[in-house]
Amino acid sequence: MATMENFKCMLCGHEYQELVEEGEDKERSCPKCRSNSIRHLKKRASQGDSDDKGKKTE
Amino acid sequence: MNVSGYIGNFTAEIRRKARYVDPEACTACAECAQVCPVVKPDEYQMGLSSRKAIYIPYPQAVPSSYILNMEDCLGTNPIACGKCAEVCEPDCINYDDRDIIVKRDVGAVIVAIGADVYDPTEMDEYGYTRFDNVITSMEFERLICAGGPTLGHFVRPSDHERPKRIGFIQCVGSRNPSIGRPYCSNICCMNTIKDTLLLADHYPDVECTVFYQDIRAFGKSFEDMFQRSKEAGTRYIRGIPGDIEEDTETGNLTLIAENTTSGKIERHEFDMVILSVGVGPPKDLAKISSLLTLSKTSDGFFMESHPKLKPVDAPTRGVFFSGFCESPKDIKDSVCQAGAAASRAGALLNAGQVHIEAITSVIDADACKKCGVCASVCPYGAITWKKGEVAVVIDAACAGCGNCGAACKFDAITMRHFTDAQYMAQIRAILAEDPQDKVFVFACNWCSYSGADMAGISRMQYPASNRIVRTMCSARVSEDMVLEAFRCGAPVVLVSGCHYADCHYITANRQTVQRVQRLWNKLEKAGVRPERLQLEWISAAEGQKFAKVMAQMEELRKTVTEEEIEYTIEALKPKPRKPKKEKEAAAVAG
Repeated sequence: MATMENFKCMLCGHEYQELVEEGEDKERSCPKCRSNSIRHLKKRASQGDSDDKGKKTE
Repeated sequence: MNVSGYIGNFTAEIRRKARYVDPEACTACAECAQVCPVVKPDEYQMGLSSRKAIYIPYPQAVPSSYILNMEDCLGTNPIACGKCAEVCEPDCINYDDRDIIVKRDVGAVIVAIGADVYDPTEMDEYGYTRFDNVITSMEFERLICAGGPTLGHFVRPSDHERPKRIGFIQCVGSRNPSIGRPYCSNICCMNTIKDTLLLADHYPDVECTVFYQDIRAFGKSFEDMFQRSKEAGTRYIRGIPGDIEEDTETGNLTLIAENTTSGKIERHEFDMVILSVGVGPPKDLAKISSLLTLSKTSDGFFMESHPKLKPVDAPTRGVFFSGFCESPKDIKDSVCQAGAAASRAGALLNAGQVHIEAITSVIDADACKKCGVCASVCPYGAITWKKGEVAVVIDAACAGCGNCGAACKFDAITMRHFTDAQYMAQIRAILAEDPQDKVFVFACNWCSYSGADMAGISRMQYPASNRIVRTMCSARVSEDMVLEAFRCGAPVVLVSGCHYADCHYITANRQTVQRVQRLWNKLEKAGVRPERLQLEWISAAEGQKFAKVMAQMEELRKTVTEEEIEYTIEALKPKPRKPKKEKEAAAVAG
């Protein structure tokens, strides 16, 4: 199922939305400046910070 | 069903489907098919004729013996019909036959799973499902074939009359981004030219018209065939029809198309229309891809190890491609590739030994915390791990991307020749003096680093502030390496690698994206401007892009203040870890 998700270009600051298919494997680039530094904002907002992913406490 | 192992040591599990007929005893007398009451569309004849539940799949099938399709049969438990067994004199029908799983140890695997022909049902404008006389090029092949349902007599499906005016529409399911198929299927132009020559040979009074975008007749003697087709009277109109209308009384079809040569909208009436359908990746591709850890190109076909230097090798060592599954190609190219794949596999097997990469990962069993993260991120499946056990690297399967080393949080993985200590030393040395004036770049060996080379040898001008550290893959760049660069005073850090479709380590650079995403979050949390970390995909041919990105990075560097750098060094300082004993004591006290 496709969902509308938010992205931000970390080079020019352009924020945009794009339809993302489930399990999609796609190279992203900013529609404005073509940079590949694209930050996925939705993940951050709805799933919380993923800093601890795969990390174990010592 | 399953393939496990690695180069020189694969184990394949193969399902041998039950035939329900003993092929040794069957004499192909056809008595069984004559009494079988089940009638089904014949898949081999594209559904244009029928077969029974017990049948020979196609006339040239080897062995030439019948098979019983249990999905079509009326039932054998209890036996609902049993007529075939009753009339079979050699008594070769066995209803109790079962599928057998066969295991084979093999040294190499050749993937030759072919392609699927495009189903034009979704392109409603051509009325494939609405009009009887609109058929596909595959159905045409069966109709014109002497072994086909009409024994080679070319008739139209609606009234079984021989058509006099035939229209061909090219690029149905090819070169059409709106249906997700932007690529050329390679074979359709020549197939149509061959069809028009066949028709002209069999029926000189037939008028053929081909609607096309471009005729791609680029192979040996292909242009000659194209010219012969035109000389035989075939009309070629540049323009793809947008609509088809049917005369319900006659069954004739009118095509409405813009002739792009004249710029006019034209209407052409035909007795029959043939859709020259393209090909696409086979439906089993994803399953095979997952079994052999293969990757796909953007058009959905398998990606080869290198498009020019290793065109039949898969990125997974010991696996080779042949035919359509790698990309659409004609018979000649398929035969060439099959020969090459067989030679490559033969050379591997005859060598008796394999040379493994010098750059492989080594797991420190004492430091390993048995978490299995390394095994989960390895794009080659080269790390085996079981819950509660230390991970093990299969040297022969490891390609040396270093993704596992970057993912390991416990420093338990060392990459031979590219160790963490070596990288850290490089980072510290580069940024030891005037770090504020430098753009720190991690560039992957295969693409970005070569892109920098390309920019250099092409004498492209770009700011001299960048300092490049070469990694085998962008996925080798660990979070710690990026943070260390910032701690050493780097104003901007760029991680660069291959484009998605070019990743030399299957899908390793997807891990780079995830890692950079986590780093952006981490930097933001620490109060550091996340924009100072950048990510770019630069291919070996993109010297120009490299120069452009370096100029952008220099602009970004100028926006970073001394105070920002000082704050970053302080904010990212590693927090001292509590000694274990203190922790335990605190836990007891708590």
